[in-house]
Amino acid sequence: MNQKDIFKYDDKIVRNFAIATAVWGVVAMLVGVYVAFELVFPSLNVLPELTFGRLRPLHTNAAIFAFVGNGIFAGTYYSLQRLLKARMWSNFLSSFNFWGWQAIIVAAAISLPLGLTSSHEYAELEWPIDIAIALVWIAFGVNMFGTLIKRREQHLYVAIWFYIATCVTVTVLHVVRSLEIPVSIMDSIPVFAGVQDALVQWWYGHNAVAFFLTTPYLGLMYYFLPKAAKRPVYSYKLSIIHFWGLIFIYIWAGPHHLLYTSLPDWAQSLGTVFSLMLIAPSWGGMLNGLLTLRGAWDRVRTDPILKFFVVAVSAYGMSTLEGPLLAIKSINAISHYTDWTVAHVHVGTLGWNGMLTFGMLYWLIPRLYSTKLHSVKLANAHFWIATLGTVFYVVPMYWAGWTQSMMWKAFTPEGFLKYGNFLETVTQIIPMYAIRGIGGTIYLLGAILMIYNLYMTAKGHRVEDKEVAYPPREKHIKEKGEYWHKWIERKPIQMLLLATVLVLIGGIIEILPMVFIDKNVPKIASVQPYTPLELEGRDIYIREGCNNCHSQMIRPFRSETERYGDFSKSGEFVNDFPHLWGSKRTGPDLHRLGGKYPDSWHYNHMIDPTSMSPGSIMPAYDWLAKDDLDTKYTAAKIRVMQTLGVPYEHGYADIALDDLSAQAQVIVENLAADGIDQENLAQKEIVALIAYLQRLGVDARPK
Amino acid sequence: MYKYILDVAGGINWMALFALMTFLFVFVTSIILVFRKNNDHINHMASLPLEEDQN
Repeated sequence: MNQKDIFKYDDKIVRNFAIATAVWGVVAMLVGVYVAFELVFPSLNVLPELTFGRLRPLHTNAAIFAFVGNGIFAGTYYSLQRLLKARMWSNFLSSFNFWGWQAIIVAAAISLPLGLTSSHEYAELEWPIDIAIALVWIAFGVNMFGTLIKRREQHLYVAIWFYIATCVTVTVLHVVRSLEIPVSIMDSIPVFAGVQDALVQWWYGHNAVAFFLTTPYLGLMYYFLPKAAKRPVYSYKLSIIHFWGLIFIYIWAGPHHLLYTSLPDWAQSLGTVFSLMLIAPSWGGMLNGLLTLRGAWDRVRTDPILKFFVVAVSAYGMSTLEGPLLAIKSINAISHYTDWTVAHVHVGTLGWNGMLTFGMLYWLIPRLYSTKLHSVKLANAHFWIATLGTVFYVVPMYWAGWTQSMMWKAFTPEGFLKYGNFLETVTQIIPMYAIRGIGGTIYLLGAILMIYNLYMTAKGHRVEDKEVAYPPREKHIKEKGEYWHKWIERKPIQMLLLATVLVLIGGIIEILPMVFIDKNVPKIASVQPYTPLELEGRDIYIREGCNNCHSQMIRPFRSETERYGDFSKSGEFVNDFPHLWGSKRTGPDLHRLGGKYPDSWHYNHMIDPTSMSPGSIMPAYDWLAKDDLDTKYTAAKIRVMQTLGVPYEHGYADIALDDLSAQAQVIVENLAADGIDQENLAQKEIVALIAYLQRLGVDARPK
Repeated sequence: MYKYILDVAGGINWMALFALMTFLFVFVTSIILVFRKNNDHINHMASLPLEEDQN
């Protein structure tokens, strides 16, 4: 008889992450509801820190990294220990992972409303926080691999493969996306510009969805769904194919976020082809999940956990069919920049991530506290509330997306834009925005109900680290006919290396040619670097998060060139560190804004947008006319850009402030000529922003 | 150096082809290997999450 090792699982760390998941989930939803209503009631933009442009990144970061992030850790720490029959390798690293991650979330919650942002979607956090993320994530990885090495179970269950792929790919994505040169303690300049920055961005952004919101949650699905259904996964063989197919294809699909932009055609096509191929493994996984319930469907009627799981897996199936369809160019031409995308991602986050997390928490908390769920009835109520909230969220968003897109593209029989004023296409969909806000509120109320139910479940009970006994891992004896796949699945390091190679192939082939082959970004001789004042204005544009509502990328459609001007070319963005193409048009595109209106129009519009555009839902940015422009780092920014290849003359940084003052004076004189007079106006931030807005798209505009 | 290699590679069609071929290789290999596994092993793997904690 084998000697058994007696040890304890670390369940307290699972409890900590589970509580953090629920709490941050509510915070993320609360911020989401607030920003949703800001679009209906612009007066909610009461403080600079609470404006839509600054809060929207807080909502997305909180939902992805705080809510889902803690959910990943909670589920992984629980399932990993049990699948490997080993306690986590290091208590210190577990605690470091927990407290480090919470500290990062708090740092994000403070820095983003303050406007400290890199502007890269889902990677907005500034460089010191980026370094902290890398350290905490690596601690998680080391802890996981330590546990894998001292495990008592010989073979690695498929959920663990998904965790390993997640760990390695998120590390690669985060490091490459965060390559930036610090200018000050909370400001940096990315090493990529323009079209390259955009490609790196959406290689990252798409794979944040793939490897943060999907692969770890698939691991959780493969563990918690069989647990809740009390039967093994429908086809383990299918799960293996699901894994290899998914991790290989996902990494390539990023360029579908840039269809019809200035990205070279070959990269766009690659994105489309691989996106369509994604349907196969994704649906394999979805069907595998649903079919796991074969023979257990009667329990779905009564068990709220299974209900949550069924809707989660169905939502996964819907978004992974819709995503590839949206990656077809002709569909993307309609959907891109509209609320259709917003609807699509919320089927994923509310449906897939949200529902799976809720189901997992209802399953975990009673087991961690060794008790029963306080109220199954309340959990059932939560299920219906969450489903209703999701429907009330996504349906109006689909409607808004289609309505707006059709209005953007409508022409009169005479050949003019039917809705020439962009604002008409916004006011039309405000009722849909209102219903969306209500849908989000319903979803939030459901989550609060869950917290109450879980609190009542835990009340009066304690989490004790469970003592278990298992024999040590047996030495593996190679069987006859053993193939290398079995060799890989026993060896975490091999798995890590192979997964790394597979995900790197896609990244390298897409990005390296863009970086190294000049002809992919044709140069335009008339495109010059930004002046110091424009550079500072651009940083204000980034700080206020203008790119959350305004794109700077005119696609080559008649409906866009008629409305905005000549279509955008990649050579126009070579000095854009970072690119500001945006991904959503709540307001109009701004790429050819330069010279369209006088300086005074911009001044009045920023102080009170409704004075120039009655009915506008843009916040008023009156503080820009009150706050002095900070020029402490102007020279440093120019020096960093010179090292990145921006052709400023040698020594220009030393005289940059003289040029800045001279250009500001010209704008002040223009404003004075239109009757706008203000004390020390030349030193105010608004002058820099006007300089930048007037420069947009001017260099390469056809004469 | 890399710039030179990529420049003379002549177009980038090979990349799309390479991507598809690699995927085909990964996909077909995993299918072949999966279906050569013996069922006892597969059943053992599939039942791993269902094992209850032993005291």
